[in-house]
Parts: sequence; structure tokens; C-alpha cells
Amino acid sequence: MSIHASIEVVDATLFTSVDPVILAGSLCGACGAHVFPAMDSCPTCSSVEVTRVGLPTEGTVWSWTTQHFAPKPPFRTDEFAPFSIGYVDLGPVIVEGWLVGKTQWSIGERVNLVLAHAWTNEGTPVFTFGFEAVA
Amino acid sequence: MSARRVDRDDIFIVGAARTEFGRFDGEDNDLAETAVRGALADCGLSWPDIEFAVGGTNGETKPDNLVSRLGLTGLPFVTVKNGCATGAVALMTARNGLIAEDLDIACVVGYDNHARGAFNVSPARYGLGDWYGSTGMMVTTSYFALKIARYLHEHGIDQRTLGYASAKAFAYSQQHPYAWRRKPVSVDEAMEADMINDPLTRFMFCSPDAGAVSLVLARGSRAYELCETPIRLASVALRGRRPGSFEVFSPWLSPGDRTSPSIDAAKAAFELAGITPAEVQVAQLQDTDSGAEVIHLGETGLVAHGAQEAAYRSGDFDIDGRLPLNTDGGLLANGEPVGASGLRQVHEIVRQLQGRADGQQVPGNPRIGFTHVYGAPGISACTVLINEGAQS
Repeated sequence: MSIHASIEVVDATLFTSVDPVILAGSLCGACGAHVFPAMDSCPTCSSVEVTRVGLPTEGTVWSWTTQHFAPKPPFRTDEFAPFSIGYVDLGPVIVEGWLVGKTQWSIGERVNLVLAHAWTNEGTPVFTFGFEAVA
Repeated sequence: MSARRVDRDDIFIVGAARTEFGRFDGEDNDLAETAVRGALADCGLSWPDIEFAVGGTNGETKPDNLVSRLGLTGLPFVTVKNGCATGAVALMTARNGLIAEDLDIACVVGYDNHARGAFNVSPARYGLGDWYGSTGMMVTTSYFALKIARYLHEHGIDQRTLGYASAKAFAYSQQHPYAWRRKPVSVDEAMEADMINDPLTRFMFCSPDAGAVSLVLARGSRAYELCETPIRLASVALRGRRPGSFEVFSPWLSPGDRTSPSIDAAKAAFELAGITPAEVQVAQLQDTDSGAEVIHLGETGLVAHGAQEAAYRSGDFDIDGRLPLNTDGGLLANGEPVGASGLRQVHEIVRQLQGRADGQQVPGNPRIGFTHVYGAPGISACTVLINEGAQS
């Protein structure tokens, strides 16, 4: 665990590490299912034998859309611009998150996990997770 | 038509009424009362004849307090609140109540009067952290877009299919006196309208609005005393999600085989009714967006996955087609007063099977109808409705 006090994130429980960025999921000891964010029980088989694990940081775009209008509160932003959301197939689990850097995507495109600027809180940038296209 | 022997536990719809859907300035209870009194008048009953009642709404009013307007008869009145499936769950609850309590006559009412714009929901209500809402992921339109984008990709369906679904909805609603949006929209207009969430444009979403629907149910041969053409509720099935389903407000999905509560509910409803999807002659599917209709055609088994595009193009879902679909304009044209929406579907099918459709009538005396609702947090309910003809 290396949560950096210097990097403010939308919710620290989403990460096992912020630098390098790694998402925290849970792994079911009974059925092997992964979920995100980490939970205390397994929605697949109902077991409570779950452990917190770091998830893979590379995957492929499973589906995507671009949000062309500003969502209502509690959505927070410094200044709205259309942004993309997608599901990324990380292998053991498909995770929903921002797709950053462009607004037109293709299913199957390779991406990796990054920190993305979400909004600014009294001068301090706050980050969430996102995925960007592999160069 | 060969007459079918009436069983004591057969449940029939003998009365049906709905309000116009759209914006409404009065109280929610005004809508509900109008629908109930309409359904009672439709079968010549009055409120004291009702032995069991079920009301559904997603709003703040209490359906069971409608008795203060309708009459304090002392009857049991159950309230249900199951999101987009509320109407069908209310119908199922009334059916079960009649059989379990050994009663003859029930009334079902569903209503809502929503504020303008997309639903605003809190992450905590769905067991999610605040981050999910504050980062802009708690948006129903993006969910619908993500789901149909994947579906179109998996089944090689052209995006223009979404335009066909919208154009069909507004072609039907133009001629329906109770629909909300009755202005025609061409396929090109639907495709070229403002993009809301790729690949879905402004004309491909329904909006929350206001409306109420009520049905009167009767058990066994009593139905034939109350109604010339009672419609048998041949089955109603409610199912929830299993691993592998793709539901709204999901931060993660299981990578395994895809499942869906709609697949499970439709299969159960067909099996319980003893019919196959190919026998359905008029259908109602949850079309919260154009993509949802395309997906649900496949999931319910009414059309093979991937065959939707060709079916729209060849007019299969038109009034004189193989399977007239959402003949009142569906959610796209009626909007979605959540508590009323599932009962609107049943109302339209009942009217079609009775040969007294409010809008365009399906020709050829259709006998078998089907309805399907689907919504958060991953539930679906389906019904099979049959006109059995004269009593034997």
C-alpha cells in the first residue's frame, strides 16, 4: 500500500495504490469471482470469504459512450466538456470508468489505467481513475 | 375458435382504463382515482364490489390511501414499489391475492407524476459510494448507451436500427389518443438529432411524465358475468438478475456468459402459459430507449438476436406486420410514469385482443399477446394474455 498523502482522490478505498495507480477489487475465496469496488461479500455465490486485491491495470474497451450533456448533481466538475465512459475488460472483471484523452472509441481498443483530474477542491486537484488508449 | 373450459383459478382482466400520459398539474391521487373509476365503469362495477386491491407508484403518495377517495370498504389494499416493473408486480400481486385468499374481484392501479428530466438518484440508494455520482457515472442515459453499443457490436446490427425503432414508435402514437408525444419522426430525423449518449440521440429516449392505469381482475367463470370478452392472464412471471447480467449503476460486470432477467422472465412466462414466442400476435416491450426495444426483442425470444434490423426494415412490427409491437407508441411516445407504465402495456394488449384498440387496431382478431417490463436494479416481469373466446 502506498497511498500518497500528496495526491487527493475521489475515494481512497477504490485504490490499493495511487502511485502507481492500482484499483482495489475483491476476490472470492469460494468461487474465484472478482468484483469492483471491493466488497465484504460475494454477489456471485454469497460467500463472505473475500479478500481485497489489486486489479490488472491493462485491458480492452468492452463498450463505450460519450456523455454529451452535463449530468445533474451530485456530478462535480470545474467546467463541463463532453467526456467518455466505458466498460474495460481487465480479464477477471469488467470495470466501468472514464475513458480519457478523446471522445470517439472502438470496442476492443487497448487501454491502460491512469489517474484523471476530476475537479479542483479549494485549489487542490482531485483525481479519479480512468483509462487511456495505449500509445 | 375452440372454447376453453374455465378453471376456478383462471384470472381474467374484465375492466381496463388509462389516463392520457404527459405533463399533469393536479395531484397524483387525481390521476389514480380517474383510472380506477374508469376501470370500474368499463366492467359495470363500483368500488364496494372490489375485494382485494393493489396499487403501485414510485412517488411519495401512498396508494393504499386511495380508499379515502374511493370508499372505506375495509378491503385489503397492498402497495408495491418495484421501479419500472411496478405495474407488472402489482398485477401479479393481485392475481396471487385472488387465488390465495379465495376471492373473486380485484382492482390494480398504477400511477406516477414525475418532475421533468432524467431521474436524479443518489448513489447511497443503490449501495454505491459518492464517487460514482460525483464522477458522472450515475446517469441512466449513459447506461442505456453502453448496453446497446455492446449489443450492436456483439450481434453485428447496424446503428440505423435504432432510428427504425424510434420512427415506428411515433408512427403508432400519432394515431393514439392517450399517447404523449404524437409528432411523427422519420428514421433520418431520429438518426440526425442531437446526440445525448453515443449511439443514442434525443429521439431515442423516453422521458419521465405523468399518467395512471387501472385494471379490474375477476377469477373463474365470474369473469364472463362481468365482461363480454374477458382476457385471460395466462401467466405472469417476475425474475431478478443473476451473475452475468448488465444492469444500470454497475461499477463492474462479470466477464462470463451474459444473462438477463428479461431472458429468464420471458422464458418462465411462456412456459407457464404453454405457448412459444412464435405464437405471439401483438407485443409490448420495455422501450426506455430505442436500444432497449432492440435488445428486448432478442432477449424475450420474439426475434432472433441479430435479426432485428431486417425485421424493422421489412415492417414486421407495423400494424399489419408479423408482430405488431408497442402499438400505442410504447414508452418512447408515452413517456414513463413508472408505476403506470407496465399496466399501460397490459391495457393496450387487452384492448387489442378485445378488438377495441384506442389507436390502430391489429387486424385479423389477434388472440395472444405478450408484455415485458424491465428496470433497476435488474428485474423483469412478463405476462402472456389470451382471448379465449366464448365460455364453454
